[in-house]
Amino acid sequence: MSERRIGVYVCNCGGNISDYVDVEQVVEAVKDEPGVVVARRAMFTCSDSTQQEIIDDIQGQELDGLVVASCSPKLHTFTFRAVAQRAGLNPYEYTQVNVREQCSWTHTDDREGATRKAISLVRAGIARTRLTKPLEPIVVETTPRALVIGGGIAGMRAAIGLADVGLAVFLVEREEELGGRVGNLGELFPHGKDGRALIAQLAEEIRQRSEITVFTNAELTAKSGTFGNYRAVVHVAGESIHLEVGQIIVATGFDSYQPEAGELGYGIDGVLTLPEWKQLLDDGDGPVIVNGKPVESVAYVYCVGSRDAERPYCSRFCCSAAVHASLTAAGRDANVRQYHLYRDLRTYGRNELMLNESRQRGSLYLKFADDDPPDVARTDAGLNVTVRDLLTGGEELTIPADVVVLVTGMVPRCNDDLVGVLKLPIGRDGFFNEIHPKLRPVETVVDGVLIAGTCQGPKTSAESVASGLAAVTQAAAVLKRGVAELDPQVAVVHSQACTGCAECVETCPFGAISLVASDGGEIAAIDAAGCKGCGACAPVCPENAIDLEGYTDAQVRAMIDSLLVGAPS
Amino acid sequence: MSTVVHRDLADELRLIGSYDAEACMNCGVCTAVCPLEIALLPRRLFRYVELGLADRVRDESETVFSCLLCRACEESCPAEVHITENVRVLRHWLLEGSH
Repeated sequence: MSERRIGVYVCNCGGNISDYVDVEQVVEAVKDEPGVVVARRAMFTCSDSTQQEIIDDIQGQELDGLVVASCSPKLHTFTFRAVAQRAGLNPYEYTQVNVREQCSWTHTDDREGATRKAISLVRAGIARTRLTKPLEPIVVETTPRALVIGGGIAGMRAAIGLADVGLAVFLVEREEELGGRVGNLGELFPHGKDGRALIAQLAEEIRQRSEITVFTNAELTAKSGTFGNYRAVVHVAGESIHLEVGQIIVATGFDSYQPEAGELGYGIDGVLTLPEWKQLLDDGDGPVIVNGKPVESVAYVYCVGSRDAERPYCSRFCCSAAVHASLTAAGRDANVRQYHLYRDLRTYGRNELMLNESRQRGSLYLKFADDDPPDVARTDAGLNVTVRDLLTGGEELTIPADVVVLVTGMVPRCNDDLVGVLKLPIGRDGFFNEIHPKLRPVETVVDGVLIAGTCQGPKTSAESVASGLAAVTQAAAVLKRGVAELDPQVAVVHSQACTGCAECVETCPFGAISLVASDGGEIAAIDAAGCKGCGACAPVCPENAIDLEGYTDAQVRAMIDSLLVGAPS
Repeated sequence: MSTVVHRDLADELRLIGSYDAEACMNCGVCTAVCPLEIALLPRRLFRYVELGLADRVRDESETVFSCLLCRACEESCPAEVHITENVRVLRHWLLEGSH
């Protein structure tokens, strides 16, 4: 018999489970398992009222273990850990059993089999719970300093934001000057501010903050350490500087798509990319001069280098940027004729107003089919763009133009060295990948490494700043507490059994295991802050000297044994 | 056959009267509400003008004159184009060019 006092709660999930699993039968089957004191069913175990019922049971019946058989542990582990905590029970004395995804939803054709499987799984959960022990979170002190890589608009704004919440910041820039792409731009949408002036202002703000140390001509060459305490090596002017930081924000920016020679006439005089055209618009006033002649007619071709087989993503900023450029051109010469040849136009949000204004100021929009791009050719008089316009019933039109602007998008920047150092995750589009675009937009799967700005995907300057500040909030949330609580379900070494063979050291994907001197020999030691609880080390140990807390060998064995109860031998 | 685009026609119309089709965003509300179900009018017609396809406009002069000027389209136009006034200007231009 077990000394434990375990409560088991089996959930109907409002029919999601009970339609295919006989919940009453499950409760009946497990209520007399060793250690079980309370066994109940509930319509919705996660509801407030049932949570309170569980708390009342834990306190009233002095329960020391909790099993909830409902949905996937991905959904409600934290809900029921919190229930245990509120009732005064250690949250690691609780086990989640998945009888929805693994039983009712998968075996809709076999109610009896689904019920049998649920009973086995709940028994295994009870078996595990009989062997649980209280675990306390691993508390680590964090280093109240942040490293920002990339001194463009996102990185600069992030550095200022971090300094303003009282954190020391190291800002590392590969080029000679801060400022990045925006530092070379004139007027920006949607606010109409000058890019160069904005960067000058941010640089001044950085100068005024003693918390920020700027390294230019510098690159990150190495990173080690564990959550909240990283050691970074920055290479600057032939010297290696060692920095200790708590969080790292990567804001390394983008590259502009460079058309191939001949692509939509690129290479012919007067065929420019959007950044080249923007540069001409930003310098000087009056009609723009190209090849010694004032530009009277401009044709924009959209989606160049975006939304094709090689780069299937939409570069987002370029529609609005091209429309904005056409407004700047119209401002310099009201008589300039402008034609916009697009596949689809997305001047999202308030940028729609810019689109309306451009129409009213004489820009004409023509739509071509995805598989029928315009043709750009040189003539004696200048350039001819031929396009089949879907908005005029597929009429083939030739537009004489002095300048053809290829509206080029953003492409991922080659940063292989940095990717190697930080093990940055790269998405299918080639940009750095966040964990979730909406719910965790600046975090990466690499602990302590955040991403911001256009290294993550195409963004406007305003969006880059917003994501830089989001990274500040995320970094500050970790660092301002001064301590971080980490999951205690990590591997532990039984030092008596360890022979120091170092098999585990080789296996650990996080480099969290090392050999330390002990009684004249060497044994393995696990850095609890570096361990992610993956369990890779436990099975390779020839002496069974490693256990994963919460999933010890004894617990797993007990679970297997109970799964085999009643199985044909 | 490819037609060369020019903007002189729209400029010419602006000399005749107040012509403001450039704000048209090709949404098609005008076509949808037209009681005569004139498919051409007004958005396709206005594009001919903006693109300088004078011959196309002349080919469609019957249709231009069949418009009732009822203003149903104008009332519904989200870009606030003065459609009926534009049609009047176009009729003026077509008549001028006929003699």
